[in-house]
Amino acid sequence: MAIFKCCFETQLSDFFEPMVQKCTDPGCCCWCCSALRPRYKRLVDNIFPVNPQDGLIKNNMEKLTFYALSSPEKLDRIGEYLYQKAARDIYRRRNGLVVIAMEAMDQLLVACHAQTLNLFVESFLKMVQKLLESTEPQLQILATQSFVRFANIEEDTPSYHRRYDFFVSKFSAMCHSNHTDRDWCNKIRLAGIRGLQGVVRKTVSDDLVENIWEPVHMDKIMPSLLYNMQNARYPISQPDSPAPHGEEDRQDPPTLAESCMRELVGRASFGHIKSVLRPVLRHLDLHKLWVPNEFAIHTFQIIMFSIQSQYSYTVVETLMAHLDDNSTSSPEIRTSIADVLSKIIAIAAGESVGPSVLEIINSLLNHLRVSVSKLAKAEDSARHKLVSREGSTHEKLYQEALINALGEFANHLPDYQKIEIMMFIMSKVPHSEQDGDVLLQSMLLKSLLKVGTKYQTIQLNQAFPVIFLERLLRMSVGPNPDMRLLVNKILHTLLDRHRNLDKLLKPTVDVDSLKLAITKSSRLDAIFIRKHGGDIFLTLYESLELSNNTVETIEAAYTTTALICIELVCEESVCDLLRLIMTIQDLALTSSKLSLHQKYQLHAIVSSLLALVPHCVPLASLQTYADKVIATRIARAPYLLPPLLRHYDSTVVPTGDVLLDQAQITACLSEAGLDATQMARPQPGSLQHRHSWVDSGMGANAVDINEVDSVSSSPGVVKKFPEEELTFESLKRILSPENVESRKEAEEETRLRLSETYRNAPFGELVRHTQSKGDVLNERLSQLLKKLATKQSLRYLSERQATERERDREEDQRSEEDSEEERDRFGRHSPRGHSRSQSTDRDMQLPPAPQPLYESLFPELFVY
Amino acid sequence: MEDYKFLFKVVLVGNAGVGKTCLVRRFTQGLFPPGQGATIGVDFMIKTVEVDGEKVKLQIWDTAGQERFRSITQSYYRSAHALILVYDISCQPTFDCLPDWLREIEEYASNKVLRILVGNKMDREDREIPMHVGEDFAQRHDMYFLETSAKEAENVEKLFMEIAAELMEQARSKELPRYDTNSPTINGRSTSVGDGSCCSKIS
Repeated sequence: MAIFKCCFETQLSDFFEPMVQKCTDPGCCCWCCSALRPRYKRLVDNIFPVNPQDGLIKNNMEKLTFYALSSPEKLDRIGEYLYQKAARDIYRRRNGLVVIAMEAMDQLLVACHAQTLNLFVESFLKMVQKLLESTEPQLQILATQSFVRFANIEEDTPSYHRRYDFFVSKFSAMCHSNHTDRDWCNKIRLAGIRGLQGVVRKTVSDDLVENIWEPVHMDKIMPSLLYNMQNARYPISQPDSPAPHGEEDRQDPPTLAESCMRELVGRASFGHIKSVLRPVLRHLDLHKLWVPNEFAIHTFQIIMFSIQSQYSYTVVETLMAHLDDNSTSSPEIRTSIADVLSKIIAIAAGESVGPSVLEIINSLLNHLRVSVSKLAKAEDSARHKLVSREGSTHEKLYQEALINALGEFANHLPDYQKIEIMMFIMSKVPHSEQDGDVLLQSMLLKSLLKVGTKYQTIQLNQAFPVIFLERLLRMSVGPNPDMRLLVNKILHTLLDRHRNLDKLLKPTVDVDSLKLAITKSSRLDAIFIRKHGGDIFLTLYESLELSNNTVETIEAAYTTTALICIELVCEESVCDLLRLIMTIQDLALTSSKLSLHQKYQLHAIVSSLLALVPHCVPLASLQTYADKVIATRIARAPYLLPPLLRHYDSTVVPTGDVLLDQAQITACLSEAGLDATQMARPQPGSLQHRHSWVDSGMGANAVDINEVDSVSSSPGVVKKFPEEELTFESLKRILSPENVESRKEAEEETRLRLSETYRNAPFGELVRHTQSKGDVLNERLSQLLKKLATKQSLRYLSERQATERERDREEDQRSEEDSEEERDRFGRHSPRGHSRSQSTDRDMQLPPAPQPLYESLFPELFVY
Repeated sequence: MEDYKFLFKVVLVGNAGVGKTCLVRRFTQGLFPPGQGATIGVDFMIKTVEVDGEKVKLQIWDTAGQERFRSITQSYYRSAHALILVYDISCQPTFDCLPDWLREIEEYASNKVLRILVGNKMDREDREIPMHVGEDFAQRHDMYFLETSAKEAENVEKLFMEIAAELMEQARSKELPRYDTNSPTINGRSTSVGDGSCCSKIS
């Protein structure tokens, strides 16, 4: 520094200096003789050789640098002077000298301190622009190099007035270079990309400088980059093109463009994403790069991987919006877009939280719905006019792509969100059975299945929230066999925790060879099956009852039952399962609706299930019995065994010991120490408080199964959910054929229902019932309600389903708790005594029902 | 020598193959390249002309006519001072597309942009669009009209010189559109009005 200082002094004492100070207008200096020129001009002049080929005179350049460093205030004039010289040289086409001038400027730029650069940079950029304006590719490339060098310098003081508009425009134009010489073409394009990269680097960090994210710039930058990238994918075939200049260790335009895009996208903030993506989408549209969509996928993957991850779902949203915009374009394009979506959606899934997830799902479902209605219309017109079906196949592909996207998305979400999504999709499934709806139903169920396959079940009660399970079950007895098949598949994938599904797809009696993975079901499982087993078994039975079942649907029902057996059944619930098996056999024997083939198929799955049960629950004697029955069937009635056939030659109605015998099974159960009494009785004692399948199932099908007696003792009707049509149906069925007894039965039913209501109905219903009885009673009740109003009772009023669960839980506790405590609890089951005469066996298993609080408080209310 | 008083940006648009690049080449380089390939994206040329003793620098952006480059070419409309809309007098479809082009210009360019309709290839024998039709169209849409031939160098010089003169006129009367402040040209010489010689400091 000391030396600099010293030199500085000497230079200040330069003789000509004062004169030079005054002479600032370059125009006036032109005629000066060289001796009178200002010092900086002489220094600048000296760096140019006589012969341009000799290149920059190094010594003199050092002197100039030294001078510029020591008197930084002169730097801007040096720059200006250099620029003028270069401009003149360009005009005279003395390119050699231009190159030297540029080189000198570069060196000065690098050497000088940042704070003094500001004005020099103006001349520097003018110089660069000048070079870029020339038609010489060589100069353009040189200018770009200088510009990039400049872009890498960090300036302390940003210059707010500096504009890069021209550079963006020109570099973008260079990216599209069409130079006849392929080598030059490549070089110019490379330079263009580098230049754009430079502009981005220079401007992106400082918001106050040129806003590079303005559409006016982005609309140039993005297409330029994409154009270069897409050329790599689809190279312009030039037969005599030599191998790319690998030895130069240079990047080719596509690679560079790609890395540039990564950089750009990586720096985009939330507000900028739209302006980045819009030109990308337009470019893909215009260049018809959606079909085939390799490049689109490639591009979007780059974007997704380089974008700041918290914004990645915005990309998905934007693409989704683009799909909206393209709703009228050909299904191929839509399929491709959906495909791209499915490829990138996974990347976004990890970052998506909260409402954005459902938004995406909702949007996908909407597209699906639109497509379904479009397809329906297309098929309609195809039917009328024999239009080619091509469109509709493409439309179907599009739907597949959408479902795929949905699945991909779900795949990368945490499990709890998958359940949310499944419930969400379920809520979108239409209920009516119209033509279009069936299509939509199956589409939505397919998407549900897709999500379901991605879900890893751990706790069944988590996988099957009550509402979800309920709707699934309801759909599984729908009229459309394909739909039932789908629902069963959903059940399979959600039930199957031990990957047994593949082994259980086809019914078989040779369970040993399946090598099933079976673990003992947990307590939570037991609770689950206790709570929902009845519903599930009932719906399974009902679905088998339908006459339009195919081999596939029956097999699917088998698989479901088998999976339940493996996953859920324990000693406690094996009875229910065995009873289901027996009932299926009864159905096969007695049903008038089913065809003979279907009946044989049912027998076959009965035998398979029977063979499976002892593998899940240790029942040695049952195993023996199952083996015996199967052996008998093999010998005498092989048509009663799997595999299921579409057509059976036999017409024999099976009787005797080829059938399962209830007494034998009961014996097996009691041998194992299980409560076999339930088996014999159509009405389960211990499960009285719940509507197990026999409660309602037997009641509903009493006539079919020829167990008329059980009807009178079956109070199932009221226990069913009031909104289920089944109750009504079953009631009708019970009533219609038994004309003689119908009245009596009806009375019985009414009585039963009454007592059941008081026994089981939520309090809200009680209120409703008693309201009709008069104002006094009503008043009393409202008083009563006030007294007893707790959070619980409020919940009863609002949600019947919650009541069910609550009751179960309490029932569970009940067995463990002191009956003293029970007395305090709101006794929903209390008036049990009134129906006690109906089922004496219950009394043996349950402790006598406690007198509820309200009953003792208002005894006059409870005189029935 | 290098100091110019005005800088104007001229953008050429029109269907593919109407001769935009040839017009530019003829004007800037004085040659007619036979078998000129299709322009990719955008091409850039510069030419300094003298009008009324003042140097005027014309930045000419020659855009690709092909539809697939529409996204990038449109981005150049906005900063243009003059838009030359070119059609081929021997090719009816290129004329039929003019309304579409006008719509695009309407959408993307400044509304004060100087618009010139040019019927190129007037040397061709197989004329399909009579001159008066083009003239009518131009009049209806408030455009200047000229027929040119890049091949015979007819009216090419005149075209650009008139544009330069007209733009200068506008600039002098301070009517030159103030373009979007976000995108003036480099070095703040955004509308190039008044800050003449290149040596003057940028204010």
